[in-house]
Amino acid sequence: MIAGAEVRLRSGNQMVVEGALRAGCRFFSGYPITPASEIYREMTQRLQGRGDVAVGAPDEISALCYCIGASQRGVKAMTATSGPGWALMIEAFQYALMAETPVVVVVVQRLGPSTGGATQGAQGDVLLAGFATSGGYTVPVFAPSTPAECFALTVHAFNWSEALRTPVVLLSDKEVAMTYEAVDLGALPDVPVWTRRPASGDGYRAVAFTTPDEVPPFAPLGGPRKVTLTGSAHNKDGWLRKNDPETLEVLRHLEAKVAARAADLTLVTEDLDAGADTVVVSYGITARAAREAVRAARAAGRRVSFVGLLTLFPVPAAALRAAVGGARRVVVAEENLGGLYRRVLAGALPGVELSSVNKLGGMIRPAEILEAL
Amino acid sequence: MPYCRGCGHGLVARRLDEALGRLGLDARRVVLTTDIGCVGLVDPLFPALHTVHTIHGRSTAVAAGAVLADALCTEGGLKNIVMLGDGGATIGLLHLTQAALMNVDLTVLLHNNMLYGMTGGQHSALTPEGFATSTTLEGNWLPALDMEQVLRGCHGGFYARQLATDRELGAVIAEAVEFPGFALVEILELCTGFGVPLNELDGRRLRAMAQAEGKQLGVRIRRTDRRPYHALYRERFPMRAAASPPPASATSAGPFAHRLERALGVVVAGSAGERVQTAAAVLAQAAVLSGLHCVQKNDYPVTVGSGFSLSEVKLSPVPILYTGIDAPDAVLLVSADGLREVKGRGDLERLAPEGLVIVDESLAGALPPGRALAVPLRRALSADAAALGAVALLVERTGALERGAVLAAVDALGGADAGRLRAAVEAAFGLRPAAA
Repeated sequence: MIAGAEVRLRSGNQMVVEGALRAGCRFFSGYPITPASEIYREMTQRLQGRGDVAVGAPDEISALCYCIGASQRGVKAMTATSGPGWALMIEAFQYALMAETPVVVVVVQRLGPSTGGATQGAQGDVLLAGFATSGGYTVPVFAPSTPAECFALTVHAFNWSEALRTPVVLLSDKEVAMTYEAVDLGALPDVPVWTRRPASGDGYRAVAFTTPDEVPPFAPLGGPRKVTLTGSAHNKDGWLRKNDPETLEVLRHLEAKVAARAADLTLVTEDLDAGADTVVVSYGITARAAREAVRAARAAGRRVSFVGLLTLFPVPAAALRAAVGGARRVVVAEENLGGLYRRVLAGALPGVELSSVNKLGGMIRPAEILEAL
Repeated sequence: MPYCRGCGHGLVARRLDEALGRLGLDARRVVLTTDIGCVGLVDPLFPALHTVHTIHGRSTAVAAGAVLADALCTEGGLKNIVMLGDGGATIGLLHLTQAALMNVDLTVLLHNNMLYGMTGGQHSALTPEGFATSTTLEGNWLPALDMEQVLRGCHGGFYARQLATDRELGAVIAEAVEFPGFALVEILELCTGFGVPLNELDGRRLRAMAQAEGKQLGVRIRRTDRRPYHALYRERFPMRAAASPPPASATSAGPFAHRLERALGVVVAGSAGERVQTAAAVLAQAAVLSGLHCVQKNDYPVTVGSGFSLSEVKLSPVPILYTGIDAPDAVLLVSADGLREVKGRGDLERLAPEGLVIVDESLAGALPPGRALAVPLRRALSADAAALGAVALLVERTGALERGAVLAAVDALGGADAGRLRAAVEAAFGLRPAAA
């Protein structure tokens, strides 16, 4: 029974829009691509309807660059795309990371490569999101599996983007994005909204920090404090330098600020059995089939745990190790070839037997996961 | 100066400084956005301005974002000056044309030295025919892109072409910065590292070259009939104090009862344009009105509007985890397109025990006898109400929902033919299977 006064049919895409508006997004730029187009359309209608900015871009590179410029001016900004558009955005995304510019990119995965299956779901851009940057930097990546999670994780994506002054990916997938579902809008999680720490006092240096993990306070373009930003390697003043010690310190800081907050950044949902011999790990749309499989396995007398990953990067290694406990086996269910995320987990869970349930061209069914248990 | 002796880039920087002095702008309300290339080394020469060094070719797009956010979300009045080379203009041409089309209020100084200097003198799209570069040693065999024509094609507001050595360059830059809209100043210069040694050039030859190409100097476009993008935008989309409400949607859950003890998976299939997805949405909405959990997903060929149209709806008294339907409890087929698609997917083979198949009478012959309930949906209702009728029959046969829930969901659709659709649903409740 779902009987709130505000139960509505909403898609994952629509709940991303609600999350973005809740988070204070006032600037959106997009380029049409299935299965992300609904976000473009609805953000356009909602933002224009209240006088904020939604601008159609001539390509995905422009879309992200418009958002980056807006963010540097001090306005929360978001774009949304799918795998092919994401591929085009990656250089600008790296620029945002280097120039410590908050921005949220929603990547709604579909079957690929190339045009692939535009209306077919998949979870094949996981590593392309997590390892989008040159140099080993952590890109925070959140992965919703329900409309309510679409809402909450979009707010989290903005929050962490703001708090860390770094670009963040919300990694959705077609089945999450384009499925309509009864959602109680009156019972959405109450995620507090964060905004980047503003600069204060004199002597502002655009990207200076004292300890490596400190996130530099932000001053907008056009404001009273002189801003110097660059996508090139730079010193703490934001001036282009090659590899002097201060520049290398800045480069390490870009990772340190994320790594220091990894424990807070990593969100998981758990349904644990302390005596489980097997743990099923999944994310996105497949997490839902995995939960159902775990339920069925338990009904058949098996001792099984479930961990749903809401954060894919940084890898929730500590939470996973705790959840795995004494279990001997971890099964990772994901809709791609060869178990993309399982390969990442291999390093995080030493001594555990890791196996995969993978599929291409259709949602993984609970029965298929059950079979692997 | 971070530039080679005799390089035009240094001259342009001086002329920009002169222009800014002439305009008397508040330095904190000016952003200098630079591209990749030698031109991108200019930032530290303007320590009073905000400087943003971007990625190759994208400077105009980053600057446009900042200008739009400033004009529409904050106090407005920000000046943004983009400096890029002919290489940046080549790879970033789309950003330039879009900014010109939109008439975004920013100024682009295009340093055209006719080659990529920083990377070793390769030719660009702006390299003139006959001009030697490290990748066209015998002379470029393509004509150069004419930025003046490009700007005209984009209805650009302001375009000027000057030599870096022109005395009036500072005044022209000032005019461009003041211009309310997109302004591009193309500055012809020499790369002393590559252009000069490969082509035996000097300033006089450069002027002669421009003339030979038919490139006229001076302010070539100055339109006053176009307003900047942000002004048009604000007129069209006024700022409203309160956030706009979410799009209108149907009534909320609860007023109707249901008789569902476990999940019910329904597949509805028919032809594009015959409101299959609307029918599925009505079923989903009726479920919501009955306090049920529900998911709805739609499928169609790569091109919308042709071939089949198929929806899945899953209703459940408990929260739904897996959103797929492995063994449908009901399959509703209202056209041959839908039947073909469902056969391809194997829904009928996977039908749950006691599963219900409702088909239009026209499809009865294509299914094993006794398998389906054949009803004159298309004939009795209409092609575009057949799927809705099938949904009504499903509700009627299973008793899962109240009739009123379906009618309320139809009413919630609104639109011009809401009355007709309601009548179709009412008629469908009374439909009986075609004679066997």
